[in-house]
This record gives sequence, structure tokens and C-alpha cells, in this order.
Amino acid sequence: MKQHLQRQSGVANVEVSLIDGKVDVTPKEDGQIEPAQLLKATYDSGVSVAELDMTASGKVVKDSSGNRSLQVKPDQSFVISPNELSKGLESLLDSSTLVTVRGQLYKKPAGKQKKAEASVPLKLVILEVKKE
Amino acid sequence: MNRKHLALLLLAGCVFVVPKLEAQIKHIEMRVEGMT
Repeated sequence: MKQHLQRQSGVANVEVSLIDGKVDVTPKEDGQIEPAQLLKATYDSGVSVAELDMTASGKVVKDSSGNRSLQVKPDQSFVISPNELSKGLESLLDSSTLVTVRGQLYKKPAGKQKKAEASVPLKLVILEVKKE
Repeated sequence: MNRKHLALLLLAGCVFVVPKLEAQIKHIEMRVEGMT
């Protein structure tokens, strides 16, 4: 699985902990990493993903559907799932201020053994807004 | 004059030393099942 993930574009380093089933992925400084591709690559290597968390900096923008998104690149953004923490980001909407957040992009549905659909758009559930 | 130069030097140093916050994915962590 480590080799599978390391082959993905934008991946600088992969650390795997067999004891607690944790996989840490460090992106390249200037590369574009695609979390959905990491999910797919992990499933392709025969391992099931229970959760995928991400720490990212970006701008809070409103997309064409009116959803709030975290834009990390001009062509890469993640729809923010509304919660208490996301309400605190409303003041940054469409401003040029960058915010760093830790959020959950994927969680395996409870009680289902079926493989998750990698093509399903990932929604970002904000877990922490970091002060920088 | 020397003080002015020193102040400018310090200011320039601060500009280069302070890390710039860039929009990017900084880290991804996955919890996986079925790994042997």
C-alpha cells in the first residue's frame, strides 16, 4: 500500500503504522495532491479506509451552487459540510484571508462492508480551525 | 544614518524570515482497516 500511495502525484512521503492502522501522507510543497485519488489507491491495494482527515490552508469561497468551499488551489476546492465550526468561517467568505483547518473528508459508513465509491465528492467536516 | 540602515536591514530580515501562509494541503491522515 505504501508504494501504491507514494506513486500518486503530489505525494512526498508516506508513513504507515501497522499497530494502530494509521497512514500519514505528506504532500510535496509545490505539488497537487488529490485525496480522492489516495482513497482509490488505498482501496486498490486491498485495504479499507475507515477515515481520512486533512489539514489544509485555503480561502473560504462560495461555489456556483451556493455551498461554502475551502479553496486550496485555483482548480481544487472542497465543499464544507455545515457545522458549528464552519459557522465561524462565514466572516472569511470571499475574502483573501487564508485559514488553516483540520477536517474530515471521508468516514466509512457504519455497518457497511461495501467498498466506498471513490468518485463520490468528498465533503469537508471541519474538526478544528487553527490559529496562524 | 547608521541607525537608519540598521532599521532597514532588520525590516528586510523580518520580511524574509516570517513564513508566508500558502493555500495548500499540508497533511493527510488515514485510518485504515485490513492492513497486515
